[in-house]
Amino acid sequence: MGMIKDIMVGGWSLIAGMLVTIRRIYRPVVTVQYPRRQVQMSPSYRGHIELKRFPETGTHHCVACGTCMRFCPTNVIKVQGEKTHTHSEKRANLYFIDFSHCSLCGLCVANCPTRTLEFSDEYEMAHFSRWDGVVDLIHRLEESA
Amino acid sequence: MATQMLEPITEQTYYLNFGPQHPSTHGVLRLFLKLDGEYIVEADPVIGYGHRGHEKMAESHFYEQFLPNSSRMDYLSGLIYNHGYVAAVEKMAGLDVPPRAEYIRVICAELNRISSHLLWFGTFIMDLGGFTPFLYCFDDRENLLDILDRVSGSRLTYSYCRFGGVAKDVDEEFISATRQFIERLRSRWDDYHNLVTKNVIFIHRAKDVGVINRELALRFGCTGPILRGAGVAYDVRKAEPYSVYPDLDFEIPTGTKGDALDRYMVRLQEMEQSLRIIEQALDGLPGGVVKAAVPHKVRPPKGDYYFAVESARGALGFYIVSDGTSYPYRLKARVPSYGNLQVLTDVLPGTLVADTVSILGSIDIVVPEVDR
Repeated sequence: MGMIKDIMVGGWSLIAGMLVTIRRIYRPVVTVQYPRRQVQMSPSYRGHIELKRFPETGTHHCVACGTCMRFCPTNVIKVQGEKTHTHSEKRANLYFIDFSHCSLCGLCVANCPTRTLEFSDEYEMAHFSRWDGVVDLIHRLEESA
Repeated sequence: MATQMLEPITEQTYYLNFGPQHPSTHGVLRLFLKLDGEYIVEADPVIGYGHRGHEKMAESHFYEQFLPNSSRMDYLSGLIYNHGYVAAVEKMAGLDVPPRAEYIRVICAELNRISSHLLWFGTFIMDLGGFTPFLYCFDDRENLLDILDRVSGSRLTYSYCRFGGVAKDVDEEFISATRQFIERLRSRWDDYHNLVTKNVIFIHRAKDVGVINRELALRFGCTGPILRGAGVAYDVRKAEPYSVYPDLDFEIPTGTKGDALDRYMVRLQEMEQSLRIIEQALDGLPGGVVKAAVPHKVRPPKGDYYFAVESARGALGFYIVSDGTSYPYRLKARVPSYGNLQVLTDVLPGTLVADTVSILGSIDIVVPEVDR
């Protein structure tokens, strides 16, 4: 008698589980057909960093102080600057990142004294060569104009 | 022709490598099993395949630079690790955290705990042969990751907490999305229970399998759902309250026997409790800033400090020795999975190979956390 009861209870549990699945079949599809449909990134999504363009000057405000370079845990950033004349402010003319080492912690963005760094919304960053991960941010800013 | 009588071999033990590439070992765990037929005679977990030297790395990075490492130890509950590390350094340096930031940390940490448990739920059932629940709970988890992505900007290795607060404030959309998620997950319990908890096959594979009783769990230093499944109501959030947990009302679910089914039930109930915590924290979310003014580089005074939090897998402690500079002299992470894994040497002998998968799944280890 106990065995028959076990079979009945066990069999019903399988049917109850199957009913859950059957109900799910008629619900809308939740997946996005990715390469055919683009995914919208969230506003705070962290891609690799990029230089922000300020409307008042029309360019970035990087003074090549090197804070981002020193804070970076994996030495991703290389930045160099020069002065246009003796008493002018230093301006960055070289800004390279090696995205293949970046862990996207955001310490560079958080510690930038001129707030000229931000996260981009790039997410298709798969590449074949390690040099494809190197991004020239100054060039990128000029191109985006 | 002389006939030779061959002695039938009735007893023979042999060795089996379970992993490190086995799909149900969750990462790169290798179990070295000595088998007698289908039964395990000896089990030896071999660790170290995922060793990245996080603790050594901390010594050559200053305190801020170790932030991304903390969420890479246990990639499934990265935010809780982040919270633990940040809170440890705040305790060392005596930094104040605004109340709003504390609430946000707790909300996000509990969301992270649920996402970790949901992933465990899916993979545990998949190890036992049920593929469908995996898809359903990943659907829910995806919703959760979108919420965390909205606030922290990443889906898995959040480096969201900062010394003296959090990186970014939450907005109204985050709060409403979290409330919707709470409703959504509560409406899913019936499906999960019908699909898995009441399923006769699941019960047969989990009940009385891999019993880790109270003595065994305490001897090996197990924490988290394993210890609670054995009937010990130990939770760091209650035992050594930190952050805003003392203000929130929640219970510690416990099991009785300590078998795989108990651990399963404890985790499911923990998710319900986490939902309760999030709901209360959202109701009591104060206004104000989310990051206090802290020095550019943290320089804690000389001394050694310990701070523990409850991760999704158990008690996580950071022991940091400071020599007064901006670099830690030594950082040691007491990770829960290490103790939880060692118990296998005592639990596995005498069980079937097929039950190994069930026991390993119910323990829910994360190998990079063990290896660090």
